[in-house]
Amino acid sequence: MGERIVFALAAAGALGSGVLVILLKNPFRAAVALIGTLVSVAVLFLLLAAPFVAAIQIIVYAGAIVVLFLFVIAYLGDRPVAMPVDPLGRGEPFAWIAVLGLAFPGFIALANSKLPGIRANPRDVGNLGDPREIGLAFINDFTAPFEATSLILLVAAIGAVMLAKRAVQGEGGR
Amino acid sequence: MTTGASMTGVPLSLYLAVSGAMFLLGLIGVMTRRNPLLLLLAVELMLNSANLALVGFSRYWNVVDGQIFALVVMVVAASEVVIGLGLVVAVFRQRLALNVDGMSELRG
Repeated sequence: MGERIVFALAAAGALGSGVLVILLKNPFRAAVALIGTLVSVAVLFLLLAAPFVAAIQIIVYAGAIVVLFLFVIAYLGDRPVAMPVDPLGRGEPFAWIAVLGLAFPGFIALANSKLPGIRANPRDVGNLGDPREIGLAFINDFTAPFEATSLILLVAAIGAVMLAKRAVQGEGGR
Repeated sequence: MTTGASMTGVPLSLYLAVSGAMFLLGLIGVMTRRNPLLLLLAVELMLNSANLALVGFSRYWNVVDGQIFALVVMVVAASEVVIGLGLVVAVFRQRLALNVDGMSELRG
């Protein structure tokens, strides 16, 4: 019973702050609302026997990525960041058609799904999601993806430096 | 969606419903916002919903692969944010308005 209460609270928090993320026009407030979503999803990860992923979610997502967002938003300041109104433009009907066209079949598929155990009680999973289990899986089974992620991070870092360098040159070396 | 009085835990279908709803929220955000900062935030919402589904399947089928996949998705999200924010700052330094519809031309 306690699990259901925590699930309801965390799901409501995730969806509620998710709505705030897409409704708020001020990027700073939207980024702070995103922290609420990330923390709620971390609680759901804890319920799903994934403590390591939950910790990484808090440390890397809420701690590093959102802080980088807030830093950039603060750096850009109050100068004209967006248009005064945020119109949908010509694409508005298509946007809602796409959302509804995904929501209805998705709901029907979920309600009629025959996936094994999709409506069953969760079973005991032992130490699934232990940091030790995750480390062993990375070393034994997922060595190549692990190295690929390090390459992605290196490329992203080099790309960010190149972008910043070019921007400084375009500004007359300031 | 529940099967009756014997249900005490939370079934996987509810996690998938939350994940799908979060994905749709992110999709609405991506399609209706023109400010690249808000767009990147909505993309983060979509990536997180995918992570929730991955970790949910990992727990209910008792294999750790889904959690590994979620961690890799987080690395990709971090890289994407770094490049995206670098582009936003570069555009801003050119004194251009931050509107993704106005950034349809690439110039070296």
